[in-house]
Amino acid sequence: MTEDTTAGRRSAADLEDELVGKVLRLEPDKRPIVLSTHDLTKRFGNTLAVDRLNLTVHRGDVFGFLGPNGAGKTTTIRMICGLIYPTSGHATVVDHQVPRDKTEALRHIGGFVEVPAFYANMSARRNLRLMGSLNGEIEERRIDEVLDIVGLHERADSKVGDYSHGMKQRLGIANALINEPELVILDEPTSGLDPQGMKDVRELVRELGAGGTTVFLSSHLLHEVEQICNRAAILNKGRVIVEGPVAELHPEHSAVKLLTADQQRARSVVASLVGEREVTADEEYLVVQASDGVTREIVNRLVGAGIAIDAVIPAREQGLEDFFLGLTQSADVDQAGAAGVNGGAR
Amino acid sequence: MKLLHRELVKLVHQKRSYVGWGGLLAVPLLVSLALYLNRNNRHGGGGPGGVVSLARHDGLFMPIAAILLLSAFLLPLLAAMVGAYQLAGESETGTIKTWLMHAISRGGVLASKWGIAIIYVAIGLVLVFVGGLIGGGLAFGLHAPLLLSGQTVSVAEGLWLTLLSFLYVLGGIICVLSLALLFATFTNSSLTAAIAALVVFIVMGILGAFSYFDFLKPYLLTSHLDAWQGFLSQPIDWHPIWTGLVAFAIYIAALMAVAWYQFRRKDILV
Repeated sequence: MTEDTTAGRRSAADLEDELVGKVLRLEPDKRPIVLSTHDLTKRFGNTLAVDRLNLTVHRGDVFGFLGPNGAGKTTTIRMICGLIYPTSGHATVVDHQVPRDKTEALRHIGGFVEVPAFYANMSARRNLRLMGSLNGEIEERRIDEVLDIVGLHERADSKVGDYSHGMKQRLGIANALINEPELVILDEPTSGLDPQGMKDVRELVRELGAGGTTVFLSSHLLHEVEQICNRAAILNKGRVIVEGPVAELHPEHSAVKLLTADQQRARSVVASLVGEREVTADEEYLVVQASDGVTREIVNRLVGAGIAIDAVIPAREQGLEDFFLGLTQSADVDQAGAAGVNGGAR
Repeated sequence: MKLLHRELVKLVHQKRSYVGWGGLLAVPLLVSLALYLNRNNRHGGGGPGGVVSLARHDGLFMPIAAILLLSAFLLPLLAAMVGAYQLAGESETGTIKTWLMHAISRGGVLASKWGIAIIYVAIGLVLVFVGGLIGGGLAFGLHAPLLLSGQTVSVAEGLWLTLLSFLYVLGGIICVLSLALLFATFTNSSLTAAIAALVVFIVMGILGAFSYFDFLKPYLLTSHLDAWQGFLSQPIDWHPIWTGLVAFAIYIAALMAVAWYQFRRKDILV
């Protein structure tokens, strides 16, 4: 019984194995590489913030950089943008090495780190003109264009100091786009926004991706990355746990939770249908690893056997969600396990 | 130059810029007013003596009188504030990271910050100069000045000597703002950097005041600040002026070299 329970919950290590397999199955990507990191490492005193990070972002990707707070996402972004110096390793942005050629690399990057910061005494328009012209000639028309894209056109001449958090966030995106960079880096662009604001920003990023812009987006929200990214890497404690297309990150099986008073009998009925291994139980529910199509059959059989069912709860993507929650909630994921997975992924 | 121009845009959009400039313009005007209102009380009228009292006879001395009063505290203060704010102030608002995420070099950014701080204090000195001439001229008229060495020179020559004195003062002030800029590369708080620069400046002044530390004097920034008074003698007393200018140049070069070394590799974590 106990053995079943553990298996049903799928330990992080098991799931990692499963995910790593997926990465290995990937076909080589022939699109040009816009951003790559090569054993990128940052140490602050005794803390290893980013540990030999290797990522590849291809042109046209909306790349989700997913990880709990403190995983090293922002530190990585700062290194890519030349704001901080790696302890070892480097990043390459459109053939320019950072930090060595960071001035050239930055010509191809637009974006923000943490909260977008602007000159509060100036209007949005003046801020965009001031910053945008650092990377090349800027036409007024382009300023209008990006203000339109983020929906700030009407407030373009108000001082940024009077802007709400959401407006600053949108201005950050406008500023990221102004020079039409090869790579747009957005560090948690929806953080601190209300639900409508989050929806707007996600919609915006999706549209950017659809328009062919390469976006590197960090987030601590799994569903956000699932909604808007085509590829993702999960980072924990400065290491990449898994990297691959978002669709592939999903465990193949979905699960369904059944609530019934007669768990013992229900279990044997369901097991006869889907096999003993796929059925587990926790304190309340019977957890069945089965795809959606099978659920109806399960319910039919149970009803046919005269077992009353109180609830059927779909638990899709439970595996990855649980795994990710495990990362976010407990600070102590087995380091050795993570290292093994990372090694296997290479 | 592109960067310097952008720094100028930022400078004129900050209210604090005008507070400092306003103060610098107000001092010569207030000194003129005070001396004018007190003009009939020639002895024991209070207030600073020396060059300041010369301004009672000739408005042409008012800029000099004002700079003498200002160089003790307000000018170094403003220089330290503006030097520190240029860099650390942008750390405080987080705009430094937005700024540095562009295709510009760290060295260029530091140089433009230094340049704009110099422009700021230079504009301030112009205001003192103009304010002094207006205030002094209105209160006492502009006459051919009687120099400290006893000769009288033409008004034009008097203005020229005053201008040279101001340029010398600017050199000393650039040292103070460079010091503040250096500290600003080590901290993200502009107040910390400004205070650190002022502390160093004041400690130098105190050390220079004791004869025990005479051996230090040639190396102290503060020992050289008053050498512009050499311009008010005929012939001009060049020796302390040249010594001072060399000292300023060494200070500036050393301070900015360390600032550049530190800022080039600095991790921007704000």
